[in-house]
Amino acid sequence: MRKLFEDCITILSWFAGLLLITALLFLVAYLVYRGGSSLNVSLIFGETAALDALLLKRQVFDGIFPAIAGTLLLIIGSMFIAIPVGIAGGIYMAEYCSGAIKSLFNLLFDILAGVPSIIIGLAGLLLTIFLNRHFQGQIATCLLVSCLSLALLVLPYLIRTTQTALETVDPVIRKTAPVLGASRLQNITLVLLPNAISDIISGIMLATGRCAEDTAVIMLTGAVATAGVPHSIFGQYEALPFYIYYISSQYNGPDELAQGFGAAIILLILCTGLLISALWIQRRLTTMLLYR
Amino acid sequence: MEAPMKIKTQSLCFYYRGKQVLHDINLQLPANQITAITGPSGSGKSTFLMTLNRLWEEIDGCSISGNVTMALDGQLKNIHDPSIPVRELRRKVGMVFQQPNPLPMSIYKNAAFPLRLAHINDKSRIKESVESVLKQVCLWDEVKDRLDDDGRLLSGGQQQRLCLARALVLNPEVLLLDEPTSSLDPEASAAIEELLLSLKSQCTLIMVSHYQDQIKRIADLHVKVLNGRFHIE
Repeated sequence: MRKLFEDCITILSWFAGLLLITALLFLVAYLVYRGGSSLNVSLIFGETAALDALLLKRQVFDGIFPAIAGTLLLIIGSMFIAIPVGIAGGIYMAEYCSGAIKSLFNLLFDILAGVPSIIIGLAGLLLTIFLNRHFQGQIATCLLVSCLSLALLVLPYLIRTTQTALETVDPVIRKTAPVLGASRLQNITLVLLPNAISDIISGIMLATGRCAEDTAVIMLTGAVATAGVPHSIFGQYEALPFYIYYISSQYNGPDELAQGFGAAIILLILCTGLLISALWIQRRLTTMLLYR
Repeated sequence: MEAPMKIKTQSLCFYYRGKQVLHDINLQLPANQITAITGPSGSGKSTFLMTLNRLWEEIDGCSISGNVTMALDGQLKNIHDPSIPVRELRRKVGMVFQQPNPLPMSIYKNAAFPLRLAHINDKSRIKESVESVLKQVCLWDEVKDRLDDDGRLLSGGQQQRLCLARALVLNPEVLLLDEPTSSLDPEASAAIEELLLSLKSQCTLIMVSHYQDQIKRIADLHVKVLNGRFHIE
């Protein structure tokens, strides 16, 4: 009887795993089926020569190159803000904070992590309105506001993953350096962070994915349908998820819809590429920090 | 001839989350000898070691009362005195744990780690210290060709000797050992015991141990702990 039960669990686990993989394969296959035909250079660069577009000599009007550039800039910008703050916050939570304040902050970060992205977008919009009034209309919704809002969106993940990564370092490893005369800061920088960096980067990977795919926040804070590649952080921009959303709701004819599916494939490829490079960085950085 | 006193505790009490763990300990431990501390699990042996290098300060909810005086640099000092930075103290009072705990870095960097913590950057001096300390723990011949290998790839006994080397690289005056051989096989234990005997000339050793025969073999003084109270045999 017990054996039968265990077998059932095994079969069920297999089935669950299989279901997930089938769903993924089906999704990718469907995307390729619908958007595969539009996957070519002109989907990205339109009528413009690819080299000219990449060097920003000429603007691309009928391709998704500005959206790809916008999404990459968004990721870079928001990570540039969120990573230092998130890691510093995580270190504070794990190593310096204690008692009632720690419980309170844990609760607050969990609440922040649960805030829907549309609310974060609204907060970004409010910030823009405030800045707009304050600086006599010089600041409107733009890349910078979007990056700030996205950073706020992913900050709780980063803080919590850093905190958990540090707190779960083996207690034996944790007390090794202090016994040998390390200061608290030396213990953090030389032992704890290098031992936790792999988990921290996993958190950063998830956060990057979140920045790449989020639509609600950017819709309210600066993403528009046509803007070209932004010239500064105060400019409006295009982004892949917004482009997909826009096309899917207002396409004119099957060709444009296929372009939308093509953009979805490009977004998937972009995210996969980021994931793979993050895994590579993860391995290199762990080795570098521990064996330098 | 009576050996000079190295460590003296006066009415030392230790509390963890309001519960008293050590009761009124008055001990005098002689210099350049091996003092063995025995007692049932949870009786406060490891806690006592933690009061000697102030490691208890890293743990939430601990407090102590009473005094610990140590002869460091030839002077009697109260180790809890604020004028003694805890980092300086721990460089003089080394510690080795039951479980060998090499850091996930190369053998060489493990042995040199305390020097790096002490901001000693002279490469030739580091190299010299590492080599001499690895020779002292009889590890040099076994690892000299693979100093860049990960310290965790060594056998248990080798790892423990590496940890001893790491604790010795700053020439501590006192060495605290928390059951240093209990995770090792008899041969590796014998090697460590021999090593500890050879260390008596350069430092004072305080060792928590479970093995009666080990204590008979190497200890000069035997302290028994029962429920946080200490008795000299």
